Amino acid sequence: MDGLILLLQRFTFRHWRQAPRTTLLLGLTLALGVAVFLSIRMANRAALSGFSNFTELITAESDFIVQATAGSLPEKALLDIREAIEPYAAVCVPIIETTASPPRKEGEPSGLSQRETFTLYGLDLVSLQNVSTAKGQSETVAEGGLGNLSVLGKSHAVFISSRLAEHRGLKVGASLELVMQDQRVVLEVGGIMPDRDKSVRVPETFLLMDLPALQRLLGRSGQLDRVEVILEKGKLGQQARAEVQRVLETQGEARWRVSTPAQRRESASVMTQAFRWNLGILSMLALVVGLYLVFQALDGAVVRRREEIGVLRSLGVEPRTLQHAWLLESLLLGVAGGILGGLMGWVGALAAVKLVGQTVNVLYHTTHTQGVSFTLEDLWMALTLGMGASLVAGWWPARQAARTPPAQLLTRHLPQPVGGGRWRKIWPGLIWVALAAVLATLPPLRLEGGGRFALAGYGAAICLVVGGGLLAGGVLQLMGRFLQPLARWSAAVRLAASHLRRASSRHRLAVAALLCAVAMTSGMAILVGSFDRTMRGWINRTFQADLYVASDGAQSASSQNRILPATWRSLRDQPEVEDLNVICFQPLQLPEGETLLAAGDLGFMRRHSDMAWMQKPESEEIYDKDRNAGLCLVSEAFSERFRKRRGDEVLLPVPDGVRKLRIAGVYSDYGNERGTVIVDRVHYAVWFSDESASRLAVQLKQGAAPESVRAAWLQRHPGLSIFTNGHLRNEVMRIFKQTFAITYALELIGVVVAVVGLGMSLASVLLERRAELTTLRALGMSREAMARATMLEGVFLALAGTVCGLVVSVALGWVLVFVINKQTFGWTLQFTLPWMAMTVLLLLVVGSAALVSWATGRWGADLPADREE
Amino acid sequence: MLVFGAVWLLAGALGAQEPLLKTAEGFALPQPGRKFEFPRDHGSHPEFKIEWWYVTGHLYAAGGRRFGFQATFFRQAQAQSKAGEESTLYQHGQMHLAHMALLDAGSGMFLHQERLNRAGWDAEADETTLAVRNGNWSLKMIRPAEQAMQLRGTVAGEAKFDLELIPAKPLVFFGKDGVSRKADGPTAASHYLTFTRLKTRGQLQWGDEKLEVTGEAWMDHEISSSQLDPEQSGWDWAAIQLKDGREIMVYRMRRKDGALDRHSTLAWIDAAGKVQHHGVDQFVWKELSHWRSPVTKANYPIRAEIQTVDPSTGKPLHLKLEPLAEAQEQTGAMGGTAYWEGACRVVDAASGEELGAAFLELAGYTGDLAGQFR
Repeated sequence: MDGLILLLQRFTFRHWRQAPRTTLLLGLTLALGVAVFLSIRMANRAALSGFSNFTELITAESDFIVQATAGSLPEKALLDIREAIEPYAAVCVPIIETTASPPRKEGEPSGLSQRETFTLYGLDLVSLQNVSTAKGQSETVAEGGLGNLSVLGKSHAVFISSRLAEHRGLKVGASLELVMQDQRVVLEVGGIMPDRDKSVRVPETFLLMDLPALQRLLGRSGQLDRVEVILEKGKLGQQARAEVQRVLETQGEARWRVSTPAQRRESASVMTQAFRWNLGILSMLALVVGLYLVFQALDGAVVRRREEIGVLRSLGVEPRTLQHAWLLESLLLGVAGGILGGLMGWVGALAAVKLVGQTVNVLYHTTHTQGVSFTLEDLWMALTLGMGASLVAGWWPARQAARTPPAQLLTRHLPQPVGGGRWRKIWPGLIWVALAAVLATLPPLRLEGGGRFALAGYGAAICLVVGGGLLAGGVLQLMGRFLQPLARWSAAVRLAASHLRRASSRHRLAVAALLCAVAMTSGMAILVGSFDRTMRGWINRTFQADLYVASDGAQSASSQNRILPATWRSLRDQPEVEDLNVICFQPLQLPEGETLLAAGDLGFMRRHSDMAWMQKPESEEIYDKDRNAGLCLVSEAFSERFRKRRGDEVLLPVPDGVRKLRIAGVYSDYGNERGTVIVDRVHYAVWFSDESASRLAVQLKQGAAPESVRAAWLQRHPGLSIFTNGHLRNEVMRIFKQTFAITYALELIGVVVAVVGLGMSLASVLLERRAELTTLRALGMSREAMARATMLEGVFLALAGTVCGLVVSVALGWVLVFVINKQTFGWTLQFTLPWMAMTVLLLLVVGSAALVSWATGRWGADLPADREE
Repeated sequence: MLVFGAVWLLAGALGAQEPLLKTAEGFALPQPGRKFEFPRDHGSHPEFKIEWWYVTGHLYAAGGRRFGFQATFFRQAQAQSKAGEESTLYQHGQMHLAHMALLDAGSGMFLHQERLNRAGWDAEADETTLAVRNGNWSLKMIRPAEQAMQLRGTVAGEAKFDLELIPAKPLVFFGKDGVSRKADGPTAASHYLTFTRLKTRGQLQWGDEKLEVTGEAWMDHEISSSQLDPEQSGWDWAAIQLKDGREIMVYRMRRKDGALDRHSTLAWIDAAGKVQHHGVDQFVWKELSHWRSPVTKANYPIRAEIQTVDPSTGKPLHLKLEPLAEAQEQTGAMGGTAYWEGACRVVDAASGEELGAAFLELAGYTGDLAGQFR
């Protein structure tokens, strides 16, 4: 042990002191890998931990949530719920929930997901006060500000969060204008919601109104979204848990379903599970590439200190002690990198959380991003990752340092090691590729709630990259041979060609890392390109109406703003309207999982759009509202998720029971991954007693100018967003691209790291060739020529990595499009190679590799023969 | 049982000198000679602004276990609501506050809880019979022929009771000609109906312990639209049940200047249910000792001596009220007013003999009660 410490002091720490920049770079590299992984983890947590239950925020977590099996819960059910649980110490909190957004500013164009979305809760402000006392909390809600019951009976009084009050300088009595349903409404701040404590602040976008007032404003009198049941704090309250659940479930029969907040959170979490896992895997990539960099750096350090290791070995230091010293050095670096990475990750999360939150809002549900927190668990994970990665990366160089005989270490003129034989063989690469092919055929992992995870698909992708990396090493020799004829023109080319022909394991690793990063980036570009093209085709076929109308308050996927019947009827009756489709969306809980119910005029779809079919209806029955009451259409995602095909039955829960519907056809849809069931709106309106609309598609009469109609309608209905066909298409594509922003950022980090790694790799190679460089200088080779030779070497390494990466990316893109995407989202895409993006990537990587390797070459050309660093 | 008159004291139409039929807000005022009809008049009277049903009692279980309980259901109209504007499930024109309390005399453990709801889905008061509910607390007349009532509820999630209350004596009406005056103001009056002794039996569960209990209870039903005078600062009230089958209802209205209001009164109820009122100068309420609340810091005179003349003997009778536990305070997070409402034993001050049981109510010790609610 003493020997080990002595070695650390005299050997490791001395080097760190002598080359602080190299040590810092090493630590930073490790930290970067840890940081990327951690930042995504933290951002995910912050963006998705939004509170699903409002009561949790201001009072206490509910014990049960009672919701209608479909649609709204009639408020009369409250009386039945109260009666059912009368013997038990429990409080009921009826809730209605909606979304609202601030109105467009003067001159602001209509857009999707551009303004913040408020979640507006309607709670019985009087009975809410019983929750605190029931929970035995010393500080009651009444004392915090909600006790201001003077707002009762005021139809527009709203309580706002303290954060909103701070940010906007809103005081009690101030006005707050919002679009609710399809109307612009001016609310009056009736009070400021108290935060339960400083760590759990009410999200800025939460608003609270008295339940009956909100019901009236929304035109939803008599309706509730859910009733939360909270058991009282004492022994009897808590003992009754199982009994209350049983009674609620029994009494509910087909009218309502009972869940717990944990189940509700889980259901929300299932919805975004695939999204989170995908991000997690991408962020792991950065860690793996970071690991590669550390490996390169430590390996470089072994190379640089060969002679010193040789001396130590000659002096009798045991190989085992040397290996331990190297591993300990790695570990120390790991600790430093881990801590630094943790902090950098936190900073990164602050930036990433907005992107993650935006994506979740657009694709899944309204989320209220919480502050990014750095927990002890995060610190522990950062340290584990840092130390783990550095030990893994340091293991091989440590072994090399310990195992190489002293004589070899002390000799500068021995040829560079060309790496283990197995790395030069083709068969390991082929085996990996074959494994990828097998994995690509396996089905996805089915998760609870209808979710799927393409585990085998990801496995196939990894195998492809590893296999490609192993095979790419062979390309270097081919390149060397290809360069040979050109060698006579220049000494630099000759030199580069000779090095490539004798490619070391370090060369191969650099190529493999580049290949990995390029393949992933380009593969993702193929996926996005395929998506892009498919989406455009789908949009062109599907979106053919002249105008699309939504509430101006509907700013996210989960916006609940509706267009009131009076509004859409008045639009329908306009002389310029030829045909109008009233479309309504309703989240739907099937026994197998959550999905979306869409209702519309199926005849309109037949007349005015060209649906893309996976399985086309076999008859015209589905388009005829007199004959389609027992029929439905389902999206491809639904079909994949619930394994239902044309002719199968869907049991659709409706407020008065269950409707048995036959699937008439399966259509392509890229709107959501939960799947959609479409029924004719005439039946929906009866089943759900709901005449409101989520969207309108309007076909104008010949000669009517959409832009002028739009302007006139907006004038009359400022609470609406109206899109012309072209405008909507652009908005859809803009949002679609926005959802890939994080993916691109992560991929870019991978490429940057790989290029930096290439530079480090070349630096190690040059250090190894110090003797050769000295000889070349003695022979009269200019420093410029030597730098050019290194640059050429680097460029060809980059070319090998990038070209092979692009080739592998085609296979990887195929796996992403046809396996991972299909299994995760259930969408069939048209495979497209984005040539332009791939070419730009090639040029970028090779160009930056040229710069990096030229700089490294310049540095190497000045290396004295006996310098260590 | 007056505390709630002040809790819900709101400025009615004061100042008019002639007998009034209605307050300025349009609420009915108690009128002398009103003809009551039952069970309808056990129910709610929304034409009046304020109304409460108040039950207190003493329960006994096997092994000499003793408990005190309180259940109070209040109704208060916020304003005469406009018909058609309110959802039947959320009538903010009518607010319902309720208090429950339970004392385990042996251990001194005191549970209390309060609830506030508007009329509708979670609180209601029937207008045809006695049926009031607030959350899962309810008081109902279950057999009108014998005026049998059922009281059910849970307290603070720790205890639960289901009691049957059967009048052992006829209903009494306090005050003159059916109107009980509390102050000089023309509106400061109520219809004050009381079952002074109810035979009580049922089940009580406290934690895991389930007990069969029997005992005696007292029930007030008071109907008014405005009770107190702005110059009044609080009141002390007691309902005493003597072992000889008689009861005493006594209250003193305290004025801000330290004097007693002349409408303070003591009423003897004989074994047959006949009421005899004694005026403010015919009884003495003597404070014996105080208890300071650690929660509200109010200093309550929880031990008192009531000095009166026993109408059956014509001799002075000094009754000491000794609380079964000191901490029996309703801290009033929702109603806005804290008060002390506790089970007491009643002892002859001279002989020390236990003569009965009582509930004592002490209100207005946390500030200017009348001012607070104006």
